[in-house]
Amino acid sequence: MGVKERKIKKVLIANRGEIALRIMRTVQELGLDAVVIYEKPDREAYYVRLANDAILIGDGPRRDYLDIDKIIWAAKKTNADAIHPGYGFLAENADFSAACEKAGITFIGPPPQVIRDLGNKVVARQIVGKAGIPFIPGTGDLVRGSAGINDAFAFAKKYGYPVMLKASSGGGGRGIRKVVDEADLIVQLPLARAEALSAFNDESIYMEKFIESPRHVEIQILADHHGNIIHLGSRDCSIQRRHQKLLEIAPADLPADVLNAMYDCAIKASRESGYINAGTVEFLVNAATNEFWFMEMNTRLQVEHTVTEELTGIDIVREQIRIAEGQALNIPENRVTLLGKAIQVRINAEDPKNNFMPDGGKRVEVYRSPGGPGVRLDGAVYQGFKVPTDYDSLLVKMTIRGFNWEQTLQRLKRALNGFLIVGPKTTIPFYLAICDDLDFQLGRFDTGYLETHPEVFNYPEPEREVAKLAKLIAEIHTKKVNPYAV
Amino acid sequence: MNKSTNPLDERIAPGELQDQGVHYVLDKIRAQRGYFITNTERDLSQSDFKNRIMPHTQLLAAKPRNDAGYLSIEITGGASVHVDMLRKQINPLEKLEVLSQGMPDTMFQTLCRGINLFGYRPYPENVIRATVQSFARYVHVWRVFDFLNHIPNMIPVFEEVKKAGRILEPSICFSTGKEHTDEYYVNKVGQILEVTGEDIVLCIKNHAGLGTPKRIGELVEAILQKYPDLIIHYHGHNTDGADIGRVVYAVRKGAKIVDASDHAFTGFYGPPPILTVLDLLDDYGYHAAGIDRQAVIATSNVLRPEREYYKDFESQFLGFDPSVQIHKLPGGATGSSFEQAVKGDFLHRMPEILQNELPRVQLDLGNWWSVTPGSQILWTTAVNNVLKGTRYKDVSDDLKNLLLGRYGEFPFYRPADEIYAAVFGPGWKEIVECDTCYQKIEDVDLDVEKKVLEHRLGRAATDDELVLYLQHPNDAVDFFKFEAKYGKTWVLSPKIWFRKGGFGLGEKFEVPDVFGRLHSIEIGPQRRTKSGDATTYLIIDHHQEPIITEMEQEDAPGRKKAVLSLKEIEAAAKAGEFRSQITGTVNEVCVTEGEEVSVGQVLLVLEAMKMLNNVTSEVAGKVTELFVSAGDKVAVGDALLNISKA
Repeated sequence: MGVKERKIKKVLIANRGEIALRIMRTVQELGLDAVVIYEKPDREAYYVRLANDAILIGDGPRRDYLDIDKIIWAAKKTNADAIHPGYGFLAENADFSAACEKAGITFIGPPPQVIRDLGNKVVARQIVGKAGIPFIPGTGDLVRGSAGINDAFAFAKKYGYPVMLKASSGGGGRGIRKVVDEADLIVQLPLARAEALSAFNDESIYMEKFIESPRHVEIQILADHHGNIIHLGSRDCSIQRRHQKLLEIAPADLPADVLNAMYDCAIKASRESGYINAGTVEFLVNAATNEFWFMEMNTRLQVEHTVTEELTGIDIVREQIRIAEGQALNIPENRVTLLGKAIQVRINAEDPKNNFMPDGGKRVEVYRSPGGPGVRLDGAVYQGFKVPTDYDSLLVKMTIRGFNWEQTLQRLKRALNGFLIVGPKTTIPFYLAICDDLDFQLGRFDTGYLETHPEVFNYPEPEREVAKLAKLIAEIHTKKVNPYAV
Repeated sequence: MNKSTNPLDERIAPGELQDQGVHYVLDKIRAQRGYFITNTERDLSQSDFKNRIMPHTQLLAAKPRNDAGYLSIEITGGASVHVDMLRKQINPLEKLEVLSQGMPDTMFQTLCRGINLFGYRPYPENVIRATVQSFARYVHVWRVFDFLNHIPNMIPVFEEVKKAGRILEPSICFSTGKEHTDEYYVNKVGQILEVTGEDIVLCIKNHAGLGTPKRIGELVEAILQKYPDLIIHYHGHNTDGADIGRVVYAVRKGAKIVDASDHAFTGFYGPPPILTVLDLLDDYGYHAAGIDRQAVIATSNVLRPEREYYKDFESQFLGFDPSVQIHKLPGGATGSSFEQAVKGDFLHRMPEILQNELPRVQLDLGNWWSVTPGSQILWTTAVNNVLKGTRYKDVSDDLKNLLLGRYGEFPFYRPADEIYAAVFGPGWKEIVECDTCYQKIEDVDLDVEKKVLEHRLGRAATDDELVLYLQHPNDAVDFFKFEAKYGKTWVLSPKIWFRKGGFGLGEKFEVPDVFGRLHSIEIGPQRRTKSGDATTYLIIDHHQEPIITEMEQEDAPGRKKAVLSLKEIEAAAKAGEFRSQITGTVNEVCVTEGEEVSVGQVLLVLEAMKMLNNVTSEVAGKVTELFVSAGDKVAVGDALLNISKA
């Protein structure tokens, strides 16, 4: 695979929020310029302020971030010679990768065909099947109308309910629905299709056997243009709500032989698909038997890439840029250390007690963040930040690194307590409750964790004592007398 | 002089009472040849500072006070339980918990009004018992009295105190006049001892500071002649400036315990200064058991700079009032009486009220003791008599109850028929014949009351909270809600708590929270929103936070304030439009909207000056609108309810 090296000088980041900032940091570390794009509601965003150049691409919300033409236009206008797509939006859109290629702009990610193949879950399953990797039984794309419904019925009959409906182009946990019986299937099928269309601009869906409360474990890989493929270890992403990951741990707590087999499969899958750049191979693991199945391969940087970075000390974004430039991987195997533990929690402006309802529109009146050993923050938040109603409610990702699981947990708890966020409700007290749960402490958790541990939602929400006193002091000040004393 | 030279050995710590029991402790007091001192901080606060001395100040003084070696410190009881919740926003039981941590070696004392507990009218027996049980966790010495010296009114408290293993201190209320003879009081002591047995301390409760030193000395002597082993505790007030003399005479004639308080805060109507008592009696050769004189002085050194924050609560009139021998107002009520006179705009009539009408009313009504709740009855009646220009017209329900013997029998004589006629009207004889009886207050269902409280709070309530609620329902609920919103505010210094006129921009203070964590709060700018609310920017622990203060909407529709004369209000009532004639609190609403009412029916009960006043219907008809509910504060002229005439 002879590839001409091509030095990147200016990177346009086709994303927003914390990931735009995350990518920008590495771009700037490399001494390159970072250009960002933004929709109008994001005009006060932190990443916009810190970029070398920022281009307003429209009123949004969301549609302009999905507008390939506008983004290519912005790159040309600013002379950016590379585009990093981040995660979400166009990150796994093969047309976008192709449009970059056509415009002579380096796309920091896999080639269009790889994205296309792996992005289609049905095709992806054919590819890994060829490589001899176990995967979960499923249908092909379910066609519209009665034929598709009949296929679905037949499949469900063969493997038994419940089954899963998934968007063929899906990812990031979206476009997944559990179906419990035939009546449910009839109701959910059009909903899943509509959801797939709106989320991924592709209404294709397929059906998969449902694995009861598995663990969700994924392998990070890096592949260059020269045929080198390495893995950076595993991540356990089992603790999820509505199939969306809440916290991720590296490495997964699995026996070495199981992990080795998964590494092997991940590299095989990458090779079989002709993978280039950073990617993630997701597996479901039977928590009792450690049997595992290929689920999908994500052709992008993951939200939770931070735990791998903290564990290995390898900057994945930096490697993505190097690979995109055509450079060969130069990470010796003995430098990929997987010792210790890292955990990432997503601190969202949400109310976990109210089904994780986003607290959009609220202003973060006070923001104080923790620091000290083993604490990494990737955030969009600042004091005065208004939780967006148009985008996701992520305030900051905190990644904790520790020598072992015990220290990592203690550090996580300490750091969570070091936050002071006044304004919106956040997931912080919920994570603190999880820290105090014995099963979590003992590493006993799977994707059913939140359903089987409802007590973690029973955390108190104590108002800070000083905030109460402040309320009174402000009242004495305003009313010129203490109305409760006279 | 006592042989012991180590004051620590002479002291009696709470643990000693706990381990050795009441009898042992009282024997130790008897065996002591010197005398003991009780620091009556509570009475000082009530008499000279309208009960406002804050926990912050008490905590500042806790260490030296604990070191000073008082037999006990009176730190709760009287009106303080109510004021703790009403004006200081502290749970009275939590206050004792916090203070006991700061004063672990000093016994706590309370003043309990017998059947009236810490309030102004009788409580059901099961409420009394539950209350004593809660407070006895912290209170070691229980001074108990009844304003008629009516022993049955004190028995449930006596029993519960004994059950709790605490020291019982029954009181004989003291006054002057021809009925108030040694013979009467010695006889009363005998009646008490019959009920309690000999393991008590007996208090001579001279709440107004009446009589001369010689008179008090004679009384002590007379009691001890009959009951030589009785421990007598003299309690007085310095209203006329002569209480030190009475204390000295009491001790010289054999009293074992006397009351005084810290000189940094002593005023005119409360206790005399400890240091003066100490040095005077020392010169007479009387040893103050357990006392560390230096710690007494140190306490006042700590307290002295704090006094300036309380100046608004000192009496409007500074100086001793020797005319107390005429009007006999108790020290605890003197300051508040003047306060009411200022608020009610009748200050210029005070000489007439205090020197003519009040002594006259006292003799009219039986020459019993002017102490809570009797003092309020006497005072309210005298004020009404003077202000209305006719005597005994529209009297309070409490006076009616008193006249009908509800609170106990008259100790000396029954008021004259003319008084009954003036109060009850032409049919008074029949009323008196049919209705005169001692009132038996039915027990309340504590489970039901707790459910009502929990409903009002919207959460579970503790037994302690129930006890507080049962005494002052509306004020307790207001306090619990305050606490939920503002937290434990008793950590705030009086400098903050009593601040008037707002803080200065950039003013900064260190505030500890209840967990002991220190915070810095700096006052930043303020802006008003369109709705009139205010946003104050406070820099809390180096981070600026906007704090919103909602301002009440004044002149809400339907309750528009009207400047109406009493005559106009009365005329409106005859038309079915009821407005408040007084400034006070709605205690109870007795009717509902849509209810048919008849003439004379009680519509609602208003509470003012600690007295209950019925609002009765002047018309028959249907309640069309109800503007108030229990707990609401009303001012003169505020709409209460409307009745459409039948």
